[in-house]
Amino acid sequence: MEMPAAAPGTPPVLQLVGICKYFPGVIANEDVSLDVRPGEILALLGENGAGKSTLMNVVTGIYQPDAGEMILDGYGTEFASPQEAIRAGVGMVHQHFKLVPAFTVAENIHLGWSETPRNASPAVLEARTQALSEQFGFPVNPSARVEDLSAGEQQRVEILRVLARRARLLILDEPTAVLTPAEARDLFSALRAFRAGGNAVIIISHKLDEVMEISDRVTILRGGRNVGTWETRECSPRMLAATMVGREIVPQDMRARAEGAAPRGAAPELSLRSVSVRDERGIETLSDVTLDVFGGEILGIAGVAGNGQRELTEVLTGLLSPEQGEVLLGGRTAAPGADAFARSGVGHIPQDRLHSALAPSLGTTDNMALREYRAPPIGGSGLFRADAALALAREIAGVAEVRIPDFGAPVRNLSGGNQQRLVARREMRIASRVLVAAYPSRGLDIGAIATMHRYFAELRDKGVAIVLVSEDLEELLNLSDRIGVMFHGRLMATLDAEDADIERIGLLMGGRNMGEDAASGGGVA
Amino acid sequence: MTRFQRFPTAPARLVLAWRAAALVAAALIVGVLLALSGRDVFVLGELVLHSTVGSRFGLEDLALFMTPLVLTGAAVTVTSRIGLWNIGGEGQFYLGAIGAAGVGLYLPGPQIVVLPLMALAAIACGMAWIIVPTLARAYAGVSEIITTLLLNFVAGLLTYWLATGPWRDRVTGALASSGRISDAIPELWGVVHWGFPLSLAIAAGLAAIMTWTGWGYEVRVSGANPGAARYAGMPMRGRVIAVMLLSGALAALAGMFEVAGTVHRLQGGMADNFGYLGIVVAVLARRSCLAVIPAALLMALILDAGIVLQTQQLAATAVLAITGLVLLLIAIGDELAHYRPVAPASSTRSGVAA
Repeated sequence: MEMPAAAPGTPPVLQLVGICKYFPGVIANEDVSLDVRPGEILALLGENGAGKSTLMNVVTGIYQPDAGEMILDGYGTEFASPQEAIRAGVGMVHQHFKLVPAFTVAENIHLGWSETPRNASPAVLEARTQALSEQFGFPVNPSARVEDLSAGEQQRVEILRVLARRARLLILDEPTAVLTPAEARDLFSALRAFRAGGNAVIIISHKLDEVMEISDRVTILRGGRNVGTWETRECSPRMLAATMVGREIVPQDMRARAEGAAPRGAAPELSLRSVSVRDERGIETLSDVTLDVFGGEILGIAGVAGNGQRELTEVLTGLLSPEQGEVLLGGRTAAPGADAFARSGVGHIPQDRLHSALAPSLGTTDNMALREYRAPPIGGSGLFRADAALALAREIAGVAEVRIPDFGAPVRNLSGGNQQRLVARREMRIASRVLVAAYPSRGLDIGAIATMHRYFAELRDKGVAIVLVSEDLEELLNLSDRIGVMFHGRLMATLDAEDADIERIGLLMGGRNMGEDAASGGGVA
Repeated sequence: MTRFQRFPTAPARLVLAWRAAALVAAALIVGVLLALSGRDVFVLGELVLHSTVGSRFGLEDLALFMTPLVLTGAAVTVTSRIGLWNIGGEGQFYLGAIGAAGVGLYLPGPQIVVLPLMALAAIACGMAWIIVPTLARAYAGVSEIITTLLLNFVAGLLTYWLATGPWRDRVTGALASSGRISDAIPELWGVVHWGFPLSLAIAAGLAAIMTWTGWGYEVRVSGANPGAARYAGMPMRGRVIAVMLLSGALAALAGMFEVAGTVHRLQGGMADNFGYLGIVVAVLARRSCLAVIPAALLMALILDAGIVLQTQQLAATAVLAITGLVLLLIAIGDELAHYRPVAPASSTRSGVAA
């Protein structure tokens, strides 16, 4: 390790002693102690709901601890607000960016900053931003509007905003969740440069590989408590996973069929024939896609996000009617509309559950009825039978092994993992033919991801056709029988998972086809 | 140590308790201020109570105030269920009054035929008044708040024009008023007409439709998350159109009840803010069609008490300030209902926060 060892006697940048934070009926943090030293990157690892974000919100002054002490550079501190924290050099970049979309990069950097000059003309702000960008090594375009930037670029603006305010401790909440692999690499090298200047970084994550790659030490939280801190070089991903969930995770080859599993169907359940889709600006987002999904198989769809996956899942589930081409369900032209598709046995786990699969402000009962309210026992003759809907919700929650204290309480109160389990189980009930799942494990922890994978394997063994869209190649290779790769709205190739390797898929994702001489250029949008 | 924590939901029980406290607080503040300005608070208080809930005359007045408020409140509530705001209750009220008055003035016939025709004409006019904002919303995404609001002024002027022009009273020469309409909703109890129980039944019926029909469920989901409604293949556009037309019809029916039950004429300015007060009623009812009834009762009490105070030489502006104070304190009470005490560090862990 080239990391400069801090001189003996140098106090940690930040030391937490016995921090407790309680919410009603919930212990978010209990007796958490940790320290972050100058010139190190500390990974904070834990499952969803382990208390990582709460702890960091305490550190940055969003929450006040119910007990415990915070020591900054050897002095006890209390932050009444995030502004105080940033003045003391503690800055956080949240998972959901806190930028003003309609403002330019320069305006966002200077918003609410005491050092913003009186003369805040665009030219002055942009020049200052350019200087800051060069000083800290985060390239940004000062005059661009934030809403026009990619997620990776927006994140650079967020980080630059924090660094400009002279942060010495940078806290990042799952920074790579929204980044492409290339953007993640750029971020990591920038973080290493920041560390080399004697600064400290806390990176919240539940991605093991990333923790192994970037961090010097790892602190693991479980159930709101600190389980321990280790030097990263002494850890293995397997040991971290086991410590994080509190039990040994046995990696399974999900491709193996259970005994008595339904064989792969002979005729395709769902087919696309030369399907093309244009967006409202007339740009082709899906170009001439032809594919077949058979019963009893999992078809993985790989690709960098934004290459037509959303349109593909919407066409496959009837939400979007193709402009050209045909969608066949069980060999026949499918009746249009999401409702018709659902009734013919197509389930859909969409990529953003809170935006489309659930109505966050309604109760679990109403949310679980979403697919079955039209037919008896809930529907029929125009009625909505609330008792039958409640019975259905209880049944789904039971199978999903989610404990619901109050079926009428807003479903957004549940954790992300529990929401996803409920959605998955609701969709599996209607998926007699096909299940389309888009990024089903996004934002979930290892335990919840394993559950989700088990669900898919069960369904496949029952003879259902599954389309799994994911950006996690590991996940695709573990589950899929075949893998299709999307690039710029085209299905570049469909490979048998047996002889697919990450290298080849990676090239296809970048638009390069084997044998061809990179006809479409290598750039990733 | 007990601490208070803000919860995302407020239980109805707490909302009621805080609102009761808010009313008491408002009464105390108003009482102290009146006493400081040299009024005899107890005499005034007794008078207000007597002329609202304490006498038959007062109760009749309350019921007459409540009837249009329940309907205009329900009109705003149904649109809020699908995530929209019909600010045009005032205009649809006028159009309902115009439709009803037109039939009542110029279509002779037995009352049993004319009254239902008046209601139908009112509903048709109210729907016609909201159809442009509805289609603009459903097909072009135009904010219904602006379009419905602006049409109110047109409707108000249209009513004045009719009442001072073509339909003006040629018999008694009353100002800004049409002739008297002979067909009236039968009276039930003193001056209280059948429109009162009918409006309560309509509110209850709407509550039943919203809770117990597939249509109501679709409206609920569409309002809570349009993305989820699209995902489930619900006919969003159809629901938006139906709900907005229903809303227009409800406000218009309030106008018809007012014409045929209370005023018996078409008068300029007769909507008397009932359309706008319907928004306040809907906010007080917190999206529940059933809760529109007590919310309308509260609003009627405030209006009635205000009139009584004005007869006691209290300025109209002071009455307006009192109304504002009551609503402000209720809004604060609603917010406080989100807070509940929590006991820290109970050893049972029912879950872990993110």
